[in-house]
Amino acid sequence: MDNLLIAATERSPEVTFDSAAGTLRIKGESYPEDASQVFGPIFNVLQDYLGQADGKGLKVDFELIYFNSSSAKALMNMFQMLENAADVDIEVNWQFMADDETMKEFGEDFSEDLEHVTFNLVPVS
Amino acid sequence: MSEGNSKGGFSLFDAEERILDGAKRLLDRMKDGDPQLLSEVGILADAYSRSVREQRRLVKVSDRLQNQMTQLNQELVRRRAEAEEALEQLRQAQETLVQTEKLASLGALVGGVAHEINTPVGIALSCASHLDDSTKAIRALFEADDIGVDDFERYMDTAADTAKLIVANCERAADLIRSFKQVAVDRTSSERRTFRLADTIAETVTSLRPNLRQAGHQVAINCPTDLVLDGYPGVISQVLTNFVMNSLTHGYETGRRGHLRVQVEAGADDLVRLRYSDDGQGISEEHRNRIFDPFFTTRRGSGGSGLGLHIVFNLVTGPLGGTVVLENQDAPGASFLLEFPRIAP
Ligand SMILES: Nc1ncnc2c1ncn2[C@@H]1O[C@H](COP(=O)(O)OP(=O)(O)OP(=O)(O)O)[C@@H](O)[C@H]1O
Ligand SMILES: [Mg+2]
Repeated sequence: MDNLLIAATERSPEVTFDSAAGTLRIKGESYPEDASQVFGPIFNVLQDYLGQADGKGLKVDFELIYFNSSSAKALMNMFQMLENAADVDIEVNWQFMADDETMKEFGEDFSEDLEHVTFNLVPVS
Repeated sequence: MSEGNSKGGFSLFDAEERILDGAKRLLDRMKDGDPQLLSEVGILADAYSRSVREQRRLVKVSDRLQNQMTQLNQELVRRRAEAEEALEQLRQAQETLVQTEKLASLGALVGGVAHEINTPVGIALSCASHLDDSTKAIRALFEADDIGVDDFERYMDTAADTAKLIVANCERAADLIRSFKQVAVDRTSSERRTFRLADTIAETVTSLRPNLRQAGHQVAINCPTDLVLDGYPGVISQVLTNFVMNSLTHGYETGRRGHLRVQVEAGADDLVRLRYSDDGQGISEEHRNRIFDPFFTTRRGSGGSGLGLHIVFNLVTGPLGGTVVLENQDAPGASFLLEFPRIAP
């Protein structure tokens, strides 16, 4: 299965997906012209992975500093996708700067609809 | 309405679109049923469709705002960098200017030194050669055994006069050299230590007491007794001495009794403000911005070399790391304000 390694640009985050380890990391800032271009590839690999996880789990680390509204919408879709994969053991770590109240609230907001996914708020400094 | 579907392979509003499609199909299936129900579900579907459109619009608007903000931020960062660079250049330019200025004043000083020394040395030299000539002449007469009492008396007068002139002018040259040396004082030539400023001022004034008493002037000192400085007491003493000597030489006609004043305040930020003032003649408008120049004096020919305030300026801006200005004031007399850090650089 495909791994994914996308370097950060000025307006898009670094993305690392390791299918063997079952880890996905999205790190940096996200305010691209076209959110679907950034999140499309992530959606594709996730869809594949979740479809054939076969007992393997998935760990997702979000280390986002800033994102725009369409990125937020894409993230919401992504959480929906994770939540729907009820047969895969999924853990999400939502990292945020300890003094960034907004980022923390976004995390809380995203976690609201999640039942099956384990969602951790991780303050860092 | 399915932007994004083509490029990235997914639409941000994929889920919503699917529900809208579902709603359409549902309405289709219901079209032969209860018209009342159909219309109510139709209203719901319309409202949802409008709400999704609204969401898309909001996301777009908000994206655009965030974009503009980002651009503004970048612009801000760029401008700031530019401003900082400009400031740095300015600072460098200023430094160069200061250096040039220093060189220029050094040049003026060297030129002045040559000129000033030339006069007494020149006079001494011509006196000496005059004495030499006269001595040769009198010796010739003596050897020819043709010397008269008149000749000898005239020679004695000449010798006495020229010797006096030679001594006076050599002394003047020596004095000048001494003060030139002072112009060049650096901070190492004067011992650094911690000292109570009030003590140093009092000692300096005491050392000047004979001159002051003779002229009948009074000195008022106002300095916090607990103000302790870390720096060069010798420098401060020198500065005060030059001020006082100036008041004595330039401030008052003979017989007029003056009031000299030294006032010290410990200001904020560990800055010491020392004001020296007298109530004498003061300094005329045309001279105000020249008094710190080397060799500027209104007493050329009667003992002034014009170095006193230049030395003050060098000492205050050099070892003391401060500033000195001649203040504008309504009261008669001259007033100088020194500001320098309590702890010398
Ligand atoms: N307290 C004062 N009152 C009036 N004029 C003053 C006073 N202090 C300085 N000046 C003027 O400023 C000029 C420059 O002073 P400065 O001490 O540099 O030279 P100077 O006293 O003339 O010579 P020097 O100090 O080398 O013997 C003086 O010639 C005088 O005209
Ligand atoms: Mg003087």
